[in-house]
Amino acid sequence: MPIAGIDQISAWLAATDITELELTGPDACLRLTQGQGGVVAATQPPAPPPPAAPEMMAVVASNVGLFLDRHPLHDVPLAIPGARVAAGQVLGLLRIGDLLLPVAAPAAGEVLAVLVPHGTVVGFGTELIRLRPLPE
Amino acid sequence: MIEILSESALATVQDLGRLGALSWGVGVSGAMDPLALEAGNLLLGNAPDAAAIEVQIFPFQVRFDAACAFAVTGGGGPVRLGERELPPWWCGMAAAGEVLRLGVPKRGTTHGSRAYLCLAGGVDVPPVLNSRSTQLRGAFGGHEGRGLRRGDRLAAGTLGWGARPLWFGIVPPSLTLPCERDGLPAVRVLPAAEYDSFTPASQQAFWAEPWTITPQSDRYGYRLSGPVLEAIAFRELRSHGIVPGVIQVPRGGQPIVQMRDAQPSGGYPKIGTVIDADLWRLGQAPIGSRFRFIEASWDEALAAADETRRWLASIERLVGLHTLGTGGR
Repeated sequence: MPIAGIDQISAWLAATDITELELTGPDACLRLTQGQGGVVAATQPPAPPPPAAPEMMAVVASNVGLFLDRHPLHDVPLAIPGARVAAGQVLGLLRIGDLLLPVAAPAAGEVLAVLVPHGTVVGFGTELIRLRPLPE
Repeated sequence: MIEILSESALATVQDLGRLGALSWGVGVSGAMDPLALEAGNLLLGNAPDAAAIEVQIFPFQVRFDAACAFAVTGGGGPVRLGERELPPWWCGMAAAGEVLRLGVPKRGTTHGSRAYLCLAGGVDVPPVLNSRSTQLRGAFGGHEGRGLRRGDRLAAGTLGWGARPLWFGIVPPSLTLPCERDGLPAVRVLPAAEYDSFTPASQQAFWAEPWTITPQSDRYGYRLSGPVLEAIAFRELRSHGIVPGVIQVPRGGQPIVQMRDAQPSGGYPKIGTVIDADLWRLGQAPIGSRFRFIEASWDEALAAADETRRWLASIERLVGLHTLGTGGR
């Protein structure tokens, strides 16, 4: 499938040390590989869309920080397994110095599990909480 | 613009105070917890001394006429924006028409008695003598020189961070800058001019015994109850200048701590002065609660002030980094 601008992107890539570049759009996936023979382009059909109603939804850390399952002033955890939560609801906190960032529910759901103990240092993308999506 | 939905004569517009007007007999006013006010402003990218609403009776509700970034810091109960609950010391973005509710603190869970509602750009009331604080005694400053009422409408200034999603908070200073002695909250005190006029037993009791904040306590001053402080000989002084933090001892021997709305002069003997860096702790101490006085030196008072500045600077730096990362100003 022809994709506009491949030549231009290939030229840009040739000017760098990058050996592999993958771009995914709604209609196709373009992979550019740079080797001794120059830049080689390959296109693929897009990856299949994710299943419409996943059984589980992962809430991941948006930042490196200390995971708190409750606010430092409070005794009760923000997310309790079995509880129904609304989209955007704060389920935990990431502490970075004195800054507190929310760990928010991406959609309405039921809390299945809090995977990380209170006070654990977590990395970017660490799965913190698991939800079962529910209609709002 | 926001509209006050609660009948709440005790909520007032306050900033960091009307400094430099004591020589004209004008008290300083300003937030009872200036640390909470300043931190709320930092969350929004406001000037540190931007004016906010000090709330001391709950519940307290406002409606936003237009989208507006806001922060709620200090004490009080659970805070809700529409159906969403905000953690303490948190900032958010209200949509036009949304209602913000500062709820009643649950018994035994209070972490302070005064909340600050900060708005992006600060509450826009006309400055009087270089301050937007409400001067209740003189009935000027703030919103028409009085407490807020249902139906009052307040404008915010220009946006600090601009219109963008805001939803984060900070660890409250009661946790990061704790001050306790023998299991009770404490404030540090410099002995004042008439300290030596009190009997050694009274001096010792002043530091050793807990003090209770009586119901006769407000923004003007806190009347305390505890051991009776006896002067060696009661001295009547000419009225002289006093500032918030001064601890006077009238004839009954029960001290009064002057707070933000204190009048600028008085004639009772002064046993001590609560250091500036600890006045916010008293400002948040609820009526009926107990606390202790800790004797401090001048150098310790300055070091405490530096510690507070460092805390605020670190908040400003972290908030700046975070908002930069999310495409802030």
